[in-house]
Amino acid sequence: MTVGSDVKQCFVSLKGVEASLSSLALRTLDDDSKCSLHETMMVVHEVVTDLKKRVGELEQEEFQYKGF
Amino acid sequence: MPEWLDIAVRSIFFVVVLFFITKWLGKKQISELSFFEYVTGISIGSIGAEVAMGLERNIFHGIIGIVIFAAIPFLSGLLSLKSKKFRDFVGGTGTVFIKDGKIMEDNLKKERYTTDELLELLRKKDVYQVSDVEFAVLEATGDLSVMLKKENQPLTAKDLNLTVASIKESQTVIMDGVIMDEPLATIGRSRAWLHTELEKLGVTVENVFLGQVNSYGELTVDLFDDQLQVASPQERPLILSTMKKCQADLELFALGTESKEAKQMYSKNSEKLQEAIDKVMPILNG
Repeated sequence: MTVGSDVKQCFVSLKGVEASLSSLALRTLDDDSKCSLHETMMVVHEVVTDLKKRVGELEQEEFQYKGF
Repeated sequence: MPEWLDIAVRSIFFVVVLFFITKWLGKKQISELSFFEYVTGISIGSIGAEVAMGLERNIFHGIIGIVIFAAIPFLSGLLSLKSKKFRDFVGGTGTVFIKDGKIMEDNLKKERYTTDELLELLRKKDVYQVSDVEFAVLEATGDLSVMLKKENQPLTAKDLNLTVASIKESQTVIMDGVIMDEPLATIGRSRAWLHTELEKLGVTVENVFLGQVNSYGELTVDLFDDQLQVASPQERPLILSTMKKCQADLELFALGTESKEAKQMYSKNSEKLQEAIDKVMPILNG
């Protein structure tokens, strides 16, 4: 295992969290909770975007693990 | 018509009349017996019974009596809505029994309440020590309302400066194995969704005694067969733990990397994620 695969794993988990938060926000009936869930989803999305960039960089360095 | 048949007919007739009269007067008649409701309730009942059993009496006289006895509290109710003075006169006002933690002996005397009765009313409110009470008032309905001193009041989330997620009421979507369509529609779900959720839990509708959907759209069920164990919803705790894990991972990456730029990116994002976790913690834990 390399750092690259670790970062990839983290990236994928966060993507899952983003999707779960989004679906939870849709299902929640209370407006305040819905709002904070949605905002959290946006924050997670930003993190995911940053990580994705980093995953790209790492793939340049460890070419044999290219997958994305 | 034989006498017994006459009594039967009159009884049934008056049961129906009394039913509709009480319906007309509304919930107030049964929930809180103010002076007026108390008097009219007894009178209407007596008139009904009297006319049902006393065959020499005219049925319509009985009805006139009942309608008048019902109409006056109804009209006074309408007037009470308009005028505060009238309301105080008819419904009575509360009497302060304890103020600033001190018992008002004169008011007790005025309402002819003994110390024992005051203690009894306080005990009904789970108060055993008069010194715990800041303020208490005897309502017009005869109940004692008690405000405890702040230090004796139950602890709330506000006292602890705790943020809690606000929630909406649960909806009961399955009763006795039958799907309730109206509550389902209220939360914007379909029968198909419910069947999918039940399938996820591995139970059939017929086996569900009670099924409720909470504020987060999670279905919880109680089964007829109490031997079976049903899984409780795990999605929210799972999201929270994944977020925590990823946050820890990001911190680890920040420590591990040699690139200055990446280090900065990792620590910035781990902070961001930590803030997000703090924000949704009450929701995901609750």
